[in-house]
Amino acid sequence: MKMSSSAWVAIAGTAALAALPFVVPPYYVGLMIPFFGYAIALLGFNLLFGYTGQLSFGHAMFLGVGAYGAAIIAGVWGIKSFEVVLLGVMIGAAIIALPIGLLCMRYIGIFFGMLTLAFGMLFHSFLFKFYHLTGGDSGMRVPRMNILGLEFTKYNKVELLAGPFYYYCLALLVIAGLVMWRIVHSPFGLHLKTIRDNARKAEYLGVHVHRFRLAAFVISAVFGAAGGAILGFRIGLADPELVYWTQSGQLVFMAVLGGFTNFFGPIVGALTYTLLQDQLQSLTEYWRFILGAILALIVIGVPEGIAGLAANIGRRFNGKTA
Amino acid sequence: MGISRRRFLASAAAVGAASVTGGVFAPAIAQNTPLKVGLLAPRAGIAAAPGVNGIRATQWAVERFNKEGGIGGRKVELVIEEESSPKDTIERFSKLVQQEKVDCVQGIVSSGVGLALGPAAEEARALTIYWDGTTQDGVVEKMPNPRYLFRSTDNECEAVMSSLLTVKHWKGKFVTVAGINPDYSYGRNNMAAFIAVLKRFGIEHKVVTEQWPKVGTMDLTSHVAALKAAKPDLIFSSLLFADLPVFMKQAHAAGLTEGTKLVFPAAGWQHTLMKKEFTPEGMLFGHNTLYFANPNASPLAKEFVSWYEKTHKDYPEWEADRAYFAIASYKAAVEKAMKAKGGKWPSQDDVIDAMVGLEVESLGGKGSWRKDHIADQTFTQGFTTHKNSYDFVTLGTFESMFSTSLQKPPGADFWEWIKTAKFDI
Amino acid sequence: MSAFANIVAGGVFHAAVLFLVAAGLQLVFGVQKIVNLACGSFYALGAYFGIIFIGYANELGVSPWLILPGLIVSGILLGFIGPPIERMLRTVYGRDESFQLLLTFALVLMFQDVFKFVWGANPRSLDSTYLIYGTISAGDFSIPVYNLLVILAAVAIAAGLGGFLKGTNYGRILRATAENRAMSEALGVDVRRIYSIVFTLGAVLGTTAGALVVPTAAASLDMAIEFVIEAFAVVVIGGLGSMRGALAGALIVGLIRALSIVYFPELEVLAIYMIVIAVLLLRPVGLFGRAVA
Repeated sequence: MKMSSSAWVAIAGTAALAALPFVVPPYYVGLMIPFFGYAIALLGFNLLFGYTGQLSFGHAMFLGVGAYGAAIIAGVWGIKSFEVVLLGVMIGAAIIALPIGLLCMRYIGIFFGMLTLAFGMLFHSFLFKFYHLTGGDSGMRVPRMNILGLEFTKYNKVELLAGPFYYYCLALLVIAGLVMWRIVHSPFGLHLKTIRDNARKAEYLGVHVHRFRLAAFVISAVFGAAGGAILGFRIGLADPELVYWTQSGQLVFMAVLGGFTNFFGPIVGALTYTLLQDQLQSLTEYWRFILGAILALIVIGVPEGIAGLAANIGRRFNGKTA
Repeated sequence: MGISRRRFLASAAAVGAASVTGGVFAPAIAQNTPLKVGLLAPRAGIAAAPGVNGIRATQWAVERFNKEGGIGGRKVELVIEEESSPKDTIERFSKLVQQEKVDCVQGIVSSGVGLALGPAAEEARALTIYWDGTTQDGVVEKMPNPRYLFRSTDNECEAVMSSLLTVKHWKGKFVTVAGINPDYSYGRNNMAAFIAVLKRFGIEHKVVTEQWPKVGTMDLTSHVAALKAAKPDLIFSSLLFADLPVFMKQAHAAGLTEGTKLVFPAAGWQHTLMKKEFTPEGMLFGHNTLYFANPNASPLAKEFVSWYEKTHKDYPEWEADRAYFAIASYKAAVEKAMKAKGGKWPSQDDVIDAMVGLEVESLGGKGSWRKDHIADQTFTQGFTTHKNSYDFVTLGTFESMFSTSLQKPPGADFWEWIKTAKFDI
Repeated sequence: MSAFANIVAGGVFHAAVLFLVAAGLQLVFGVQKIVNLACGSFYALGAYFGIIFIGYANELGVSPWLILPGLIVSGILLGFIGPPIERMLRTVYGRDESFQLLLTFALVLMFQDVFKFVWGANPRSLDSTYLIYGTISAGDFSIPVYNLLVILAAVAIAAGLGGFLKGTNYGRILRATAENRAMSEALGVDVRRIYSIVFTLGAVLGTTAGALVVPTAAASLDMAIEFVIEAFAVVVIGGLGSMRGALAGALIVGLIRALSIVYFPELEVLAIYMIVIAVLLLRPVGLFGRAVA
């Protein structure tokens, strides 16, 4: 059976990630957990950005929905099942995304970006101000949860994160990837790309542009919340800083770094950014400057991102014209 | 089959944590290798100034210790990572503990980060000493009996001390009270503590307005206008970031600082920005655990202050003392445990056991560690004066109090304790 | 009554500063369709540099009476960063507007560490020299003359900008370029120079705002990223691309914030977001914005 290059990439990537804990020091294994969270969130984000052409600068709010949702479901309500939490935060994100999406769908480009930034900061202020509900600056505790019903009591949290939870998150990423692949290659996905390329033409062709954009927005929110739940589990706390606008900027950074025109781009971006930030922070206290410079260089020089660049090189290698 | 995969994974992950406890391999190699201490402090944003104070103080202390042979004969090496958001700080902490394999982690200024990191430190079984950020966290202490974590004095100590000094010096001299505090848990708890102490002493008072500016906001003119309109006899404020000198300036420009009693428990964090021209005399001003110009300070403290002034052209505030207390008590604990073992390098558990009850002379005065791993330190507050050679205010008359009188005992509830404790004023 | 007057005065002062930054944003957006996330960074740069400039002027013995014009000069001097940054933004001009937004975000990140590197972790401020202009009081109401002067300066700049854009040839060229770049180019306009000048003007408005506000406030590390939110709220409420929108939006945000602090302290920050949402529900393009497809 002949498999597409994408399938090979996916299999190779999954195998590499699966082998990681045996090869790499334990700290880096732990570092992968936020990567999984961001990767899943970014798969959703890129549906909105890469495939539909809508740049949201408030996407971190859905990470927050995931983390705070986990805190409420597992902490306040005591349902310590990660699967229930995932389901709950995804539903919650869809419910929250619907009205916001309805409001924002009329806008494109910059306007959409600014609106989403405003909503993201509104959520941040809400989390900060309504401290009786949300814990304010202290946040809400996200307790340890059962995965697949198993408690793993013999593992302390460090071991749990580097062991069973790591593979659980890898599985979640694979599932999220498969789901997103199906979405992107379905008629729905094609509609999105048409809308991105020429919304007016799509409208003439009878496509309900706003409805499709709204759907993409809601789906991206759902993926974002799933990623947020993973982050919440790892940190053990849901705090308002997860939702600050510069965190949304960081998500966009990751997508662009990896390459938003490529399916795997967001995942590559999340991985690269996570490792980059880690190495830079140990290197210098001026790591923000270096990251900013890297972002500028990518935007100016390599806008197709790392995955895009790799794909171009791969294509040239295979003798096809770029 | 050999090692089961579960056990392999468990041990692979746990290697990082286990090595910190000074497990099987530690003693033999230990004494010839440097002792690694990890620092986690803010280096950007609103908390960068205190973070930098703490880092510098630790570096100074480590340099001095190393000149005299280090800690327990081992030279100390600092590994500095940045404290930022809870998520990123937990990652940096993990790096210090698992990758850098530090023997101790010290730092933390933000209470939110401290709350998130606490369980992580316990899970990682890594000795961690917080500089700051201990909150009441609602009514119940979320971590009543940590083993590996040592935390600072309560955030509310300075508010309690200011409240007691207010009662002592200004009882009967004010009725209407206004508050302007940063809108987060620290500000809220401080204001509530002040009112609770007033109530406990039966001081008649009426709160005419409570302002809650967003943390770090620079435009406080509306808040000042609201305060002016309320005409309070006394203003209580735990503002402590860059907004503090801004408030003082704007309040002075609006004529608010004349004739109003001012109680500012945390003003010492920005003390060099509290310029004489807009900061009045006779204001109750808190320097927390380090008053840099304390005439009764130890020679060590005086040496530190003059070194800081010469090297950094600045005067240190209390985060420097918190950092010094952390590294100095760590040194004392290690050396005490070593002595108890007849000169052999102590395990982490030995060090932890030695820290409890330990008393150390910190830069701002005496400091010690309670059984519940909360610190006790000396707090200094007083009334501002312009009679000095600086362009900012210092203290004229002042008092120092040990925190045993200022923070709730182990296991107690903060608000209950205020109502029933025996205060000595 | 005087309490109310104090509050309004404070709100208008804040609005004046907001207007300057928003005007810079609107100008750049109107002509170049770039939304500058680094507007807060320019604001902070103006604040930090203003402190250094005035300190230096004091050392040279310049009269403290010149503090207001001195701060304006310091803001204008910083205009030198305009052309190189615009040049950098120009490299992505032809592409999707998201790229420009991202590039300005990269600037935000870089500026954060520049501030820390150059000016350190401690907040910085000026002393109370600005009070040399005196204070106007009437009973319980008081306002430093400096604050009044800043408000007047903002009004003057608003009028000047308006007159410039409507009345002068150059202003007309700017507006034409904003409307239809291709046509302007075809008619012989040197669009590149226009863009450079407009961006620099926008930057100068931001840096001057920061410089003007610094005597009453302070310069600190996070002020850049905090300020962006308010500036964006002003621009969304007023309508992207509209100068009148900048004025209206600034007044609304400044006054509502001031009033809510005093009368509805629970809301404060949320009040601004609520207005943003209300405007979006009732008049999506903002008060003075133009409809976008």
